[in-house]
Amino acid sequence: MGAVSAAGDCCYEILKTIRNDLFGIQSYNYFSPELKDLPVGKAWVTDSELLGFPGLEGKPVSRTILMALCALREAIYAGKVDEQKYSKDDPLKVVLVNATTVGGMDLTEREFTQLREGEGNAECMCSHDCGATTQAIADYLGVFSDYTTVSTACSSAANALLVGAELLKSHQADIVIAGGTEALTKFHICGFNSLMILDHEPCRPFDKNRAGLNLGEGAAYVVMEREETVKEVNDDIGEFGKVSIIAYLTGYGNACDAFHQTATSDNGEGPFLAMTEALRMAGLKPQQIDYVNAHGTGTLNNDLSESAALRRVFGEDMPAVSSTKGYTGHATSAAGAIEAVITLQALKYDFFPINRGWIVQDEGLIRPMMDDYAVEPLEHVMCNSFGFGGNDTSLIFSKHPVKTTAATHEVPQFEVRELARVVISGTEELPSVSEFVRPMEARRMSRLMKAAVLSSMRALREAGVDSPDAIITATAYGSVELSERLLNQLADNEPLKPTWFMQSTHNTIAGELAIRTHCHGYNITYTQGSQSLDWALRDARRILCQGSCKTVLVECHDETTPLFRQLMERAGRECQQEDVKSIAIILSCGE
Amino acid sequence: MKEQLIDVLNLEEMTPDDIDTDAPLFGDGLGLDSIDALEIIVLLEKKYGIKLANAAEGKAIFTSVRSIADYVSKNRKK
Repeated sequence: MGAVSAAGDCCYEILKTIRNDLFGIQSYNYFSPELKDLPVGKAWVTDSELLGFPGLEGKPVSRTILMALCALREAIYAGKVDEQKYSKDDPLKVVLVNATTVGGMDLTEREFTQLREGEGNAECMCSHDCGATTQAIADYLGVFSDYTTVSTACSSAANALLVGAELLKSHQADIVIAGGTEALTKFHICGFNSLMILDHEPCRPFDKNRAGLNLGEGAAYVVMEREETVKEVNDDIGEFGKVSIIAYLTGYGNACDAFHQTATSDNGEGPFLAMTEALRMAGLKPQQIDYVNAHGTGTLNNDLSESAALRRVFGEDMPAVSSTKGYTGHATSAAGAIEAVITLQALKYDFFPINRGWIVQDEGLIRPMMDDYAVEPLEHVMCNSFGFGGNDTSLIFSKHPVKTTAATHEVPQFEVRELARVVISGTEELPSVSEFVRPMEARRMSRLMKAAVLSSMRALREAGVDSPDAIITATAYGSVELSERLLNQLADNEPLKPTWFMQSTHNTIAGELAIRTHCHGYNITYTQGSQSLDWALRDARRILCQGSCKTVLVECHDETTPLFRQLMERAGRECQQEDVKSIAIILSCGE
Repeated sequence: MKEQLIDVLNLEEMTPDDIDTDAPLFGDGLGLDSIDALEIIVLLEKKYGIKLANAAEGKAIFTSVRSIADYVSKNRKK
């Protein structure tokens, strides 16, 4: 494991901070004077310290990349990844599954005032998007044979672990390093502020007086392998010291709340389904879970719906539950991995991370754990991450293997068929979205969203499918038009428009399609440049072959603007020519 | 006020005459939702210098076009 966060710049520092309850969020927003009273969980490590990586001096490198390098260096060293990779005659296949949503926005927003005037250094566009961020990280470290990026807002990093586990089980990778990275940006601080969900005091998850979340930043990664690989490697590399297993990822589940773009349903349907699926995969009963690291952001909505979901899952047998965001802040796309690292350390050292910030019991909510002492050793722990678009993921780690994990994917292979394929190119057809969407709904949709809804709903109609079992979305750049409008608002010192901000995350589309089709199933968004659709199709084929789904909606959407085209050209990067391009495919297993 | 609401809420197919000054804006009336409430909060800040502390405060004020207009005339800073 490796991690950087406001609670410390490595796993050990984070453990020390939380184990001893040393300090919570201590920094204030330093981006904009009008929002300077907002507490943020800033990672302590400075950009100039991070630039100490050889070869990066004098180059524009985003903080998102730098923190990832820092956390990955720790993970690669601690997991003996280099030694393991070359322990056999054929090098092991090491894959990076990275999660980020802001990508290189911290650099872009700094340059934007000049960039939009045709001036400034357009080199930042080389790592502006999420996929390019991951590529830059992988290229620098040189240990990976493949890489991909998952972007599902605040559940991104948890989904990276889930995707990584599936790559291992299906033997597409021998070692996966999975996690996420996200730097604080003015862009998303002002964006979350426009949604009025930021607390002006240090956050108070599950407290009666909670008033919102504090944004945080950081990066965290875990090294994952099949158990048999660890055994084989340990037979071969004895001289370097054996690889030790911290824990077993025994269960995981992803589900979509399919309720609202930014809020969770009152009964926490998505979180309930995610936790239930994770328990089912692990073959565990709810009462066997010893600790839950809650998503627990501190917003009125999250803590209420997460409590409802926890009560539905655990009933009278509520395990110790706490949110650790009082230490780290909400590090959005990195949160799932930072909290996985915290949860894994709780499991390893048998303690409960306490719910810093909690004082007053709210009758409607669960009572979080405020005592770190665990009477019995921990055996199974759960880690929850929920994101915009209703994207909910739950992971279960266990100290010892459980029976179900022994069997990897020995499953019947189904034949995959394509039932329908619809392509929308350009903006001429977009008004036809009114076939599927009422004017009151269409009024706030971006053009990329309209294209996505139009292609997807047409494809579903053609295939005769009302509600697919899973939705897998691909996009290289997400909503370029809205990001540009928001960057213009920032540059003009205007408050951000909430409607634009909530649609600017990459997985808004998958969330919207889930709401429209009432699909509570697997929901994920890949963003890896021109490889995005390939990754989405690979994932779709995998779940169809396993027989866990019958129909999957796979789509890919991208757009461009004159300014974006110009900036990409200046940075020497390729860019699509169509203003909007959207493709929707319905795949089915051949039953 | 109606023109401004049509503009910030992208009520593309509406004219000021379509909006009843006293009808409820949320739920059964015009059918606005919580995101629209956030947009109106931004509008008040940008155009009139009025800052609301939280979204719940907006709920009480944004009952109809008239109630918003009244609130603005009493509290505007610019």
